[in-house]
Amino acid sequence: MSFTEQTYRELEAVVGRRNISRDEYILAGNRAKTPEIPFAHKSAEAIVLPGSTEEVAEIMRICKRWELNYVAYVTACLPTAYASKEDTILIHLKRMNRILEINEEDRYALVEPGVRHVQLYPEVRKRGLSYAPPAVGPGGSPMVSYTCTGGDNHVQYGTSRPTRYLLGVELVTPDGEILRTGSLQADEGWFCPESPGPSLRGVVKGYSGNAGRIGIVTKCAIALDVCKGPAEIRKEGVSPHHKMFMDGGLSRVYVFNYTSMQDVCDAILALGENEVGATVQKYFYLPLALMMTDSANEFWEKWGDFKKIFPMPLVVHIAAGSVREREYEERILFDVVRETGGTRIPREIEKWWEEHMDYFMIVCRLQSVLRLGGSWFPNKAYAESTQVMCNVAESVDGFIYDYTDTGKIFDAPKNIQIIPMEYGHFASSELLFMWDRNDPDGFAHMREFTMASAESDRRHHFNEYSMYGKEWAEKITKAFS
Amino acid sequence: MADLNKFRYTIESCNHCGQCKWLLPGRMYGWDFASVCPIHDYYNFDAYSGQGMLNLAGEIMNGTLPHGEKLAEMLHTCTACGACDVNCKNVRDMEVLDTIYELRKDCAEAGFLPESRKKTAENVVKNHNIYGLPHEQRFSFLPEDFKDDPEADTVLFAGCSVYKHPETFLAAVKILRAGGVKFRVLKEDEWCCGASLWRMGDWEDAKELIVRNTEMFREMGIRTVITACAECFGSFRSGYPRFVETAFETKHISQVALELLRDGKLKLSKDELPVTACYHDPCMLGRLSETYIPWEGEIKSYGLHVPEKQWRRGEHGVYEPPRELLNAIPGLKLVEMPRSREESLCCGQNASDMDPDFAKHTAEERRREASASGADTIVSCCPFCREALDAQDEYKLQYLDLTELIADRLAEEVES
Ligand code: SF4
Ligand code: SF4
Repeated sequence: MSFTEQTYRELEAVVGRRNISRDEYILAGNRAKTPEIPFAHKSAEAIVLPGSTEEVAEIMRICKRWELNYVAYVTACLPTAYASKEDTILIHLKRMNRILEINEEDRYALVEPGVRHVQLYPEVRKRGLSYAPPAVGPGGSPMVSYTCTGGDNHVQYGTSRPTRYLLGVELVTPDGEILRTGSLQADEGWFCPESPGPSLRGVVKGYSGNAGRIGIVTKCAIALDVCKGPAEIRKEGVSPHHKMFMDGGLSRVYVFNYTSMQDVCDAILALGENEVGATVQKYFYLPLALMMTDSANEFWEKWGDFKKIFPMPLVVHIAAGSVREREYEERILFDVVRETGGTRIPREIEKWWEEHMDYFMIVCRLQSVLRLGGSWFPNKAYAESTQVMCNVAESVDGFIYDYTDTGKIFDAPKNIQIIPMEYGHFASSELLFMWDRNDPDGFAHMREFTMASAESDRRHHFNEYSMYGKEWAEKITKAFS
Repeated sequence: MADLNKFRYTIESCNHCGQCKWLLPGRMYGWDFASVCPIHDYYNFDAYSGQGMLNLAGEIMNGTLPHGEKLAEMLHTCTACGACDVNCKNVRDMEVLDTIYELRKDCAEAGFLPESRKKTAENVVKNHNIYGLPHEQRFSFLPEDFKDDPEADTVLFAGCSVYKHPETFLAAVKILRAGGVKFRVLKEDEWCCGASLWRMGDWEDAKELIVRNTEMFREMGIRTVITACAECFGSFRSGYPRFVETAFETKHISQVALELLRDGKLKLSKDELPVTACYHDPCMLGRLSETYIPWEGEIKSYGLHVPEKQWRRGEHGVYEPPRELLNAIPGLKLVEMPRSREESLCCGQNASDMDPDFAKHTAEERRREASASGADTIVSCCPFCREALDAQDEYKLQYLDLTELIADRLAEEVES
């Protein structure tokens, strides 16, 4: 069946006239190519803006009845937020934007999809709590970050990845049924992702997030951590030079450089064993250089120096409950760094970090990688033990120079980050690379490089990046079916 | 001629992150008052946002979407407030607002300009003011014996709003006189600054007017233009250099008043003014007032601009002088709204001709924010913001024009 006048009228009856459109210009507003892909998305038949779970359920029933495809989205940042087939409607969840509860006692926030990080984050901070903000910018949806994407984050060293922070979820199935998972199933509230009976976690979020789920999440609870920083962060300046300061007595940032990946990993493991640091990251040097400069031109001016100063930076943020605790952690940190051969980088670079704490600010600035034209792609975005991640990082040298030295991708061969989680018990990695959008072969180079990276993973028996793991996915499917 | 290809890099760099719609982390506040794009806030569809406008521009540029009335309507309902531009430029090298301007121009050239905008353009061309009122009435409120200094190289530019609010102009006169500034008034020679023309995309008429004004300033030996109107200020600084080389400096009356105050040439009354005020940054005095620096060149691989481009990211708008003046008033307590300075929420007035309900909603939203900040008074210095924000409603805020307020608080009375 296809999208008809009748379909439109039925959808309109659900959301009201103001919240549906098939105007050619409104549709075009959600039909563009993203810098990563060289082709435009298909056009949706209509865009609907539901205001409640019940409306979403009704829309799903209509989609089922008329055999329509649907794509639910909030920010449209990922290429999956667009129509890819005929007869598709876009379900924009913007209007469902309430923070329904911030439970300080059980430490969770209950949100609808349209709530943005810039709304939730300060609300939880005011209450002395925090959560891991992923690098999507202020307009990203916490619910989407926690239910739809792979979602490693930069503060997971002292915490963990978002998957572990997802509690009760309300989801509308493609049949229009409203499903509640976790403790909600037993009417026990939102605090727990599990309940007696079969786990429904996988229904909400497989390993690969939105690629592995059906249905639309309409509410979810996110677990919160106690925040070691001040409830109100001191802010200064005017964009693009906003600054945010943590209490200098309790909070410090140190950036060290290393020459060997194994040494960095040894440092990460040693710090983890001692539970030192609130955040520890083997950061990627290209985004760091971009974040610290004001324009692409300034980046180009300084990149040569930055490459020499911090090719392998280890960032350690100490956030303590008292000055004594901070000093104690610093002593261990310096011992570890000395033993593992790290060197402190110039003060002005550390100062940049100090002026941009906390991590919400930092991860929002990470968007500046798009300053180089926007064509980027992550590789090796998976998690394993810290040592395996170290091996993964070391393996990159084996294939990347064929691409960086020939200009097929941006010349930043060491641009892999390793972010330990749960005090180094395991870690995630991301090899972020860019290609030249002006180059007609840029996209082909991206694919070629990604295949080479996957091939290297297979050779080394690493966890292959899911998107390119078709061969393995097929084998597994065959075995299990 | 409009050429959207000039903005291809911007259009194709957008990754639809949505940062153009939401408050930046450096100003984060809470759940409330977090959106910065007034049209997106009201209409909800992404097409109504910087992000959506770039998508539209891309399709028009590539010829996959026709021009049309509805497109023009959407484009002109956008208040061109530039919040999207500043937010995007927080981390990127993109020209979101200039792309919107170019798309407006492109549409206008294709014959699609909303009727109300056509009327405004006609008014400016025929009567030299946006309202279409008789030109000879522009300064008719001035007393017969009004004296300026015809030899001065500084001009006090009134702007079209002088028809509606001559008291603001007189207040500026009072401040300048009290500070001993020599200035002249153009009277019948003063025509509209042209802001509405170039901002609506009527490039041809705008150019004619701007060349005329600039030439006149040159002939008169004008070196400094002072204005109390945010729109004129922003137009002189960020609009004129798009058309001509300007040889004059533009100052806002708040900058001048602050200089005079610091130099001890102005004194404020010691009488207390017991109000809690918040200051609303007008877009054209704040983030959009940075001097436009023309750039032509090539964007090479990975964003390298050759020659180097001077970016206008909203950082150097006039933010502090109005605040410093307010802080200098005894008894006045200044509080801040969450969306302030470069992240100020537009008052919506710019689109009141396109959709009065939207404009009303946006103005109300701003007053709600002012009230939530604890203010009983909202101060600004733009005649258009005044129209939006000076209202009687549940928030019970009084509106004060900054220029009039300062003039009113001068310690020494000067005859105007
Ligand atoms: S215009 Fe800029 S801020 Fe807005 S979505 Fe595009 S890239 Fe993001
Ligand atoms: S200029 Fe203002 S109203 Fe227009 S899209 Fe940008 S933020 Fe929204």
